[in-house]
Amino acid sequence: MPSVVVAQMVVSGALMGLVYALIAYGFQLTFASSRSINFGQGELVMVSAFVSLTLTLHGVPYWAMIPCGMLFGALMGLVIERTGVRLALEQKSEGWILMTIILGLFFFSGAENLWGRDDRPFPTPIPSDPIHILGVDVTPLELSVGVGVLAIMGLIETFKRRTLLGKALEAVSTDRDAAELMGISARKSIMLSYALSGAVAALAGILVSPITTVGPTMASALILKAFSVAVVAGLDSGFGVVLVGMFLGATESLASFYLGSGWREAPGLILLILALAVRPTGIFGKAVIRKV
Amino acid sequence: MSRPAARFLLTRGPEFLAFLVLAGIPLAVTNPYALGLLTLLAIYGILLIGLDVTVGYLGQVNLAHVAFLGLGGYAAGLVVLKLNGGLAAALAAGTLVGFCFGGLLAFPALRLDGPQFALATLSFAALSTTALNELEALTGGAQGLSFSRPPLLGLPLTPPAFYWVCLLLFGLVWLAMRNLLASKWGRAFEALRDSPIATDAMGVGAYRHKVAAFALGSSLGGLAGALYALNFQYLQPQSFVYELMVILLLGVVLGGRKNLWGAFVGSCLVVLLPNLLSNRHLFQAISALGFIAALAAGIRGLLKRQVRPFQALAPVVSMGILVAGGLKVENTEDWRKAIFALMLFSVVVGLPEGLMGFLEGFLARLFHVDPPALPAPAPLDEVLPPRRAGEGVLLEVRDLRRHFGGVKAVDGISVGIRCGEIHGLIGPNGSGKSTLVNVISGLYAPGDGEILLRGQSLPRGSLFRVARAGVARTFQNLQLFGELSALGNVMVALEGSYGTPLPLVLLGLARAEERRAQAQALALLDLVGLADQARAKAKDLTYGAQRLLEIARALARRPELLILDEPAAGLSHPDVQRLLEILRRIHDRGVTMILIEHHMDVVSELCDRVTVLDGGKVIAEGLPDSIKRDPKVIEAYLGGLPEADAPAPA
Repeated sequence: MPSVVVAQMVVSGALMGLVYALIAYGFQLTFASSRSINFGQGELVMVSAFVSLTLTLHGVPYWAMIPCGMLFGALMGLVIERTGVRLALEQKSEGWILMTIILGLFFFSGAENLWGRDDRPFPTPIPSDPIHILGVDVTPLELSVGVGVLAIMGLIETFKRRTLLGKALEAVSTDRDAAELMGISARKSIMLSYALSGAVAALAGILVSPITTVGPTMASALILKAFSVAVVAGLDSGFGVVLVGMFLGATESLASFYLGSGWREAPGLILLILALAVRPTGIFGKAVIRKV
Repeated sequence: MSRPAARFLLTRGPEFLAFLVLAGIPLAVTNPYALGLLTLLAIYGILLIGLDVTVGYLGQVNLAHVAFLGLGGYAAGLVVLKLNGGLAAALAAGTLVGFCFGGLLAFPALRLDGPQFALATLSFAALSTTALNELEALTGGAQGLSFSRPPLLGLPLTPPAFYWVCLLLFGLVWLAMRNLLASKWGRAFEALRDSPIATDAMGVGAYRHKVAAFALGSSLGGLAGALYALNFQYLQPQSFVYELMVILLLGVVLGGRKNLWGAFVGSCLVVLLPNLLSNRHLFQAISALGFIAALAAGIRGLLKRQVRPFQALAPVVSMGILVAGGLKVENTEDWRKAIFALMLFSVVVGLPEGLMGFLEGFLARLFHVDPPALPAPAPLDEVLPPRRAGEGVLLEVRDLRRHFGGVKAVDGISVGIRCGEIHGLIGPNGSGKSTLVNVISGLYAPGDGEILLRGQSLPRGSLFRVARAGVARTFQNLQLFGELSALGNVMVALEGSYGTPLPLVLLGLARAEERRAQAQALALLDLVGLADQARAKAKDLTYGAQRLLEIARALARRPELLILDEPAAGLSHPDVQRLLEILRRIHDRGVTMILIEHHMDVVSELCDRVTVLDGGKVIAEGLPDSIKRDPKVIEAYLGGLPEADAPAPA
């Protein structure tokens, strides 16, 4: 096996892995503020991608479509928070797991019927002719994924650190009760985190769709890997997801080459179960001290 | 009719009747389609009882159950196809595969709760689908696997005969499960859902019971899978996907969690759902009924102010969408998943206890049946034999350290607890009292130092093993098993009283032992003055009663050393007097105690000796009276005093 081919696969796999990292980052946003995540996030990615595709097909230019798609994602994030998460959080139960699964199923069925079950191409102005970098072929399209992911994550992290609203979000994440006593509304912070998470999911859909095509089944393919990344990296570690995401993407493209494409998802799943066995809080996660 | 007879008839009668009716149907109806549905009903019944163990009793969202159905099915199919196995071998193979994979997954997955657990099970399900698809040499891949049903004892299994086999197994699983859930196992399952920490601290072992419960549920999944395989005589990986998993969850949740009848109702629903969807008019009728039910329930709930507006409104909106959709959409089959989603959503929000949970509450009000009478309390000497305190030091702590980051919560503490004494542990907030007992009782592993019980090293960092070594404790922030009765709380901790092996428990042969445990638990409740509230759920007791219940539960461990973490915190004055009285009686039975307390009157009245902590170190030790005059203690509590005001040394 020539090392160039391996390097080639590692690079394009790692760039794909950044998409998983972005979706996983969406989990972290809501987990930090509310200790809950949207199990239907994959469906949210898919539906947002379909809406963005529809916008594009109706003549909205690519660069104008991106914010519209993200806005849609943010709105859907709010819908999920209101219908699926808030009640369970108020009751201090884990009912949100089942509720978000249910909402995901509803989105899936809707997409299946509104846009059809087939995979559809997603037009993009970014060229996909490979360019040669250090002996490896990379397309500008693949690079755009990496740039987009890192840009939005950098933007949100800056927002959390530099703005008052962002600091309020961090405060709720650190200690909800203390933040409420300081006059910060935990409910609004959780809504904000769900909106951000939805917007991030939509962007992930927009970035990945030109490469993978859009179809209802993209939801489950993406979500499992994003889950793996989030859990392996730890649900509370900021940039750990980027490293794990790239690693997972690379192993995945190697696995599908050596073992066959049917085994594509296996490394991520095995990695996930192993990580849970060895370090349940994730590689970059903080250990939790049990209190009584 | 006598009361026990009436109770027996009302509780067991419907089960027996339903079984007879189900068994009799094939004699009257020969329609093969109906028979197929009945067979599936029995199979899904077993499957859902298994799923209810994790979803209901452990309270975890388990997304791997469909994988056990598939793996069990393939195991049975392969045994028949490749090994020429008979019916029994195929069923055993399915169950065993479910059990093994369930156990294998449970070990890593059950160290987690909630979302991480759900993720792990989801990944396992996806992985098993991948494996079934890709291991073509064994499973035939996407092509599927066909085989024919083996005969039973040489006789061919006709569809009715196979149905009876399934029904019989369903009945047996039902009975075994009921026996299991009424035993110490069922109590442990409920206990660890409410408080895993207290389950460990009562020497029951939360983790091992979780794994056992998950493996049990998975083996039922495997058994159901084997029957599923033998029923269809054809398997393909696409049958065991996420969509079926959601339908199964719908079955359990809609039927009612923690409920055998719920599993039965859920199974009926899962079997009938495809038929309901294929007929448009039937679907419209049902969705309209659902809408009316949601509307009625919502208005009633709002008028009685039992529910939040969202809980009342959301099911109505969701069912409304279902009705509107039913009128508009041509082919309901295409919208199958959305329909499941809307139904499941309405049920989870509007009827969280499920159909059977609701119905049982309703029936219980209609036919009031007294629970079986409790036995007379056992003599206290049997439950808590008076022990001679003995001589010397019971617990010795040497130079114990435990740091959290830079916080030196316990910083080199040495203390000896003598046999038979009540040893007070006081100190200002944050002085390390709770951390010290948390390290002794095994919640935290010590950073450094030794803990010896009667000269033997105490296990480190394991609540469970420390509890087994004879140390029991209560918790400052109550850790009761809220859903269990007061009696049940104590019975969980009566570990030493149960000896019946699991197979006999499943056969229902542990009743005598249960009665004895009840009698013993009642004796302990009597000791703390809660015998008349034995049946009340722990979460419904008053705060003072809850504190006393924690003490009774800890005593059920028959501890050598009892650690009480602020038992009087938040109690009213009369309750404190009661507590004092109770602690004296416990002390008279020779139980050594460590008492953390802020009420100085309690400490001076009860304690033989007192250790004072500050900043993670021992600052004074001695008799309660001399401690009160110790200048270092006064300084720790009140801050430094000017020289002139300092009390003269005693």
